[in-house]
Amino acid sequence: MSRLVFWRLARAGLAIWTLASVVFLLSHRDAGAAVQEALAEVSDVQTDRTATTSAERLAAQAAVRERLGLNMPLFYISQGSNQQEPTWQWNGLHNQYHQWATGLLHGDLGTSYRNGQPVASRLGAALSFTLPLTGTAAVLAILAALALAQRLAASPWWQRPVRTLLVTVHALPLFVVALVLLLAFANPDAFAWFPAYGLDQPADVGSGTWSQIATYLMHMALPVSALTITAIPELTLQLDAALTQELHADYATTARAKGLDEGAVIRHHALRNALLPTLTQIAELLPALVAGAVVVEVVFALPGMGRLLAEAAAARDYPVLVGGILLTGAARLLALLLADLFYFWADPRIRWQS
Amino acid sequence: MLQPNQAAIDANNLLHVCLLQPDIANRKYGPALATSLPAVELVGDSLSKLAYDIRPTAAWDNGRPVTARDVEFTLKLMFCPGLPNEVARNRYRFIRAVLTDLKAPQHFTLVCRGQALEYVEASGDFFILPEAAFDPRGQLRRFSLVDLQKRATTAPPDSALQSLAQRYQAAEAGHPGQVPGCGPYQLVKWEKDRYLTFRRKPQWWADRLQPVPIALQARPKQLDYVIIPDAATATLALRRGDIDVYPQIPAREFARLRASPAAAALNFYSTTSYDVVMAGFNTRRAHLNDALTRQALSRFFDAAGLLKATQLGDGQRTVGVISPIEKENYNDSLALIPFDPAGATALLRQAGWQRGPAPGTGWTRKSANGDLQQLRLAMRYRAEGSLFSTVALQFQAAAAGLDIPVTLQPTESGAFSSSLKAGDFDVYVGVRKGNPFMFNFTPVFHSLGIDAGNTTGFSSPASDQLIEAIAAADSKTHRSQLLRRFQALLQQEAPIVPLFFLPNRIVASRQLTNLHVGSLKPGFMATTIERVPKPSAAP
Amino acid sequence: MLWLGLVGLTALLAAALPLPYAPGVPDLAHVAEPPFGAGAHWLGTDALGRDVLSMLVFGARTAVLLTLPAAVLSTLLGALAGGAAGFWGNKARLAVPYWLLAGAGAWWAVRFPGVGVGLAVAAISLGWLFTSWWRKRELASWPVPVNSVVMGAATTLDTIPRLVLVVAVTAGTGVSVSGLLVLLTLTSWPHSARLVRAQMLRVRTLPFVEAAQAVGAPAYKVWLHHALPHALQPLRTALPLSIAGLLGLESTLSFLGIGLPPDVASWGRLMATVRSEPGAWWTFLFPTMCLIISMISLSSISQYRPSAASS
Repeated sequence: MSRLVFWRLARAGLAIWTLASVVFLLSHRDAGAAVQEALAEVSDVQTDRTATTSAERLAAQAAVRERLGLNMPLFYISQGSNQQEPTWQWNGLHNQYHQWATGLLHGDLGTSYRNGQPVASRLGAALSFTLPLTGTAAVLAILAALALAQRLAASPWWQRPVRTLLVTVHALPLFVVALVLLLAFANPDAFAWFPAYGLDQPADVGSGTWSQIATYLMHMALPVSALTITAIPELTLQLDAALTQELHADYATTARAKGLDEGAVIRHHALRNALLPTLTQIAELLPALVAGAVVVEVVFALPGMGRLLAEAAAARDYPVLVGGILLTGAARLLALLLADLFYFWADPRIRWQS
Repeated sequence: MLQPNQAAIDANNLLHVCLLQPDIANRKYGPALATSLPAVELVGDSLSKLAYDIRPTAAWDNGRPVTARDVEFTLKLMFCPGLPNEVARNRYRFIRAVLTDLKAPQHFTLVCRGQALEYVEASGDFFILPEAAFDPRGQLRRFSLVDLQKRATTAPPDSALQSLAQRYQAAEAGHPGQVPGCGPYQLVKWEKDRYLTFRRKPQWWADRLQPVPIALQARPKQLDYVIIPDAATATLALRRGDIDVYPQIPAREFARLRASPAAAALNFYSTTSYDVVMAGFNTRRAHLNDALTRQALSRFFDAAGLLKATQLGDGQRTVGVISPIEKENYNDSLALIPFDPAGATALLRQAGWQRGPAPGTGWTRKSANGDLQQLRLAMRYRAEGSLFSTVALQFQAAAAGLDIPVTLQPTESGAFSSSLKAGDFDVYVGVRKGNPFMFNFTPVFHSLGIDAGNTTGFSSPASDQLIEAIAAADSKTHRSQLLRRFQALLQQEAPIVPLFFLPNRIVASRQLTNLHVGSLKPGFMATTIERVPKPSAAP
Repeated sequence: MLWLGLVGLTALLAAALPLPYAPGVPDLAHVAEPPFGAGAHWLGTDALGRDVLSMLVFGARTAVLLTLPAAVLSTLLGALAGGAAGFWGNKARLAVPYWLLAGAGAWWAVRFPGVGVGLAVAAISLGWLFTSWWRKRELASWPVPVNSVVMGAATTLDTIPRLVLVVAVTAGTGVSVSGLLVLLTLTSWPHSARLVRAQMLRVRTLPFVEAAQAVGAPAYKVWLHHALPHALQPLRTALPLSIAGLLGLESTLSFLGIGLPPDVASWGRLMATVRSEPGAWWTFLFPTMCLIISMISLSSISQYRPSAASS
């Protein structure tokens, strides 16, 4: 068992490293453009007062490259730019990829091109907004799905309309749900019950802990609802289908024959088996949690991971982008490990095999 | 040292003080840290000396006076290797030396390369940093300003400069308020792209001045700047009274708010700004290198319709890059370019273009060397906001009516700037930010600026001469004559199509007075606002 | 079904329909007009002055022309990759000369030093192939880890949520319609590959496949003619769902303002304009209805099939 888990983790780890390396190498190929932008961004706001000679401009670019460590060759080997006979040359350990990789092994993700902050601190700040949001939504969705699926499986009269409703909601893209919530409940022209922005605004001086918590909850209500509403249908439908299948199994019939009522059969017998396929799904949620719901964060203007990554991509802030991908990958590893452990716990057959 | 966006500029203006500061109300630079505008002395024909005096009361928070040493240190820091100071280097390179006087520590003279009227303003608009806080042992004094300016990037690293750069970056990292300044406010809370909270220093040196000049007034005890990404949300916050001032409010929100019952508690201001919306042609492209073609294409822009649709009638159309509110410099004898596709057809034929017989074949012409040119355009603009995309769609539709295909390329702002510099466009739509102080068009229209600020790549000997003459003009009347000629020349050559100057709209709570609303950025003065204990602003 | 037919028909006929306004043309005199307003815009105009009705019609065309090919292509790619991975596992073998030939080709393609070496190796392997073919001799062979390669690639792509991956790739540059098509295809194949692989693992052991192998048919023929058609069964349900997923992804991308060029009409982009003009409910309601009905129709199609009962 542990060997199996180890190999799975090793494979997934390799995949993550490959993906991060590919993104690193692909993106840093046009780091020159990023340099241009780092310069352009600033000079754009205020017009230059004096003309610069091209030598001065080149010097300015060289200074930026030096500062960002982009003057080194990209990889261990590179293709020479000799036109007649392209040649390969060995660059030794003094290259960007090696610097990045060694930095990474020491826990250093590099610094952002745009504002010079360490990538790790930016990711950390974003995570502190994203995790409560998506974590709450995931827990709520799982609990709601568990409760709903158990009741659905007992075939009440409302089984059919609720299933239809779930299928309908399942069809909605997240941004539609989020926008509907925003336009309905944070709109001065409709109901302005919830604030639409400003989770991160400075708390008023003198307000107590309780009012701060209340403000926080008010801000989180709509984003969490949007995420929960979109996550519930998939989990519920899956669990419902699995439960229905299990209830037709022989052991369920036996349990009923013992005289147990339907609810007890579901709770004590079928649920545990039906949970197995859902566990995988729940484990899949973890990387999605870390990557954050890009859409929800954009709609509700939350400074979380999803928006950080989207903005980093748009601004070609590659260190942040690569860092985010690595972090998501790490969450993926953790998810795999957890899923395996859950299986181990939930399915005795696996325990016997190992 | 670097001011990446307007919010940062505003913030720095609260924390720091420059020698001179623009007065929003009368659109002129006035003395701030300096006692008066500098005395200018021309030396020969290629040097100028500007003599400044720092206010004797000016002091850092620890009570030490602000001296000429601090000015010298600040200028040297702009050329210290290892710091993100590339833009500052280019901007202040014209200052070659700082002459200080041991006997009068608050008097100094800047020696500048070249002679220009605008050196008066340009030499004083950077904020001063304390030498004692970053370089207590005066290690930077070993280097002269010219040494640092001429220092090659390949020069061996110097340990003193390195440690200085590290100290400066450590102070600036993550918290701009940690860089000590002699301004009236302290940054007490700060989160990037979210909010800034400033608190008035209880004791500030300018309080002792009698009377306090407008540039040095600091009335509010606390200033909160919050950054609200969504216009509708910001409006809601204003209606609720969460914020008191909403600058740069979009046209539709402004109009809606004005018509709503909430208008009773609000003041509405609209002035013409110095930001001109314009299109530019890439004159390096073979099919755009003649003035006739460019003039023809300029007639596809429906500036009047766009102004009405996007700004609801506020703002002002213009013939050139000089704002119509600058009466003495604006060339009012020129006619506005009309929206005239029919006239454009005639101009295109004059330029040698032939329209294909069947629809969809477009326009072609033979160039001098026999190549067949096709009239098709790629139009680049910033992806954010609806202004640029409306302009682009309008142009595309008008051109499509004459069978000229236009590809739209909305681009993220960073990528947009670098595409413009790289010349990767046929037409672009953008905003040129301006001010009433700067008349040196060398970076943007001179042949020296090609491959850098001169995005259109346009230049001619006549325009180069005119630009140099404007920069070196010795009197304001002479300069405005030259500027009028320059506007006529630009309209004739049409490397750019100025569409209109944007309005600068501000909505503020009725409870506030003394906003000093004006055309200059940021459009009002936060430091003079009175009455309400806690004003806030949402950029 | 009826709705999907209607959308398809609209998409085909979009250019021929007698619409009062073209989709990309802003009507500067009537910006953000409500339906049936002054400018004779039946469904109103958006914040840029574009006609909502014609945006809907041309948005349908974009949706059909983008998502349908992307879904079909990615399913096809997934089916081939997953089918191969499931059928051969890691046990496929390729004769050594082919390996050498491929290696030499790669050597030449990246221009490693000594092009001669690559050419010599290629010549030797060709000669080897030829002689063995001539003498009908069995060639030595090395295994090809098809399964590991396919599943490794799928795992790598799955590491990151698809939306984040697509955003990361498109946001910096902006892509054309065909570029977006390729990108969507390349990022959506793993799901169908997994489905087909799982089914193939079952099909492989069925009697008729083993019979075909026993007759001595070449492996690729057994794979293509006997095994693959049966392994494709799960795709019947997966394809409509995949189209629905891509439709959602496309509108989400357009909503975020990345992906398609701005003059290409899209439902998602139309919905996004409501954020700059919160009073304009008509720019949000109509495209949302279109999107929701399409997606529900697609998911109901996937459930009509008898084989869908178990999934």
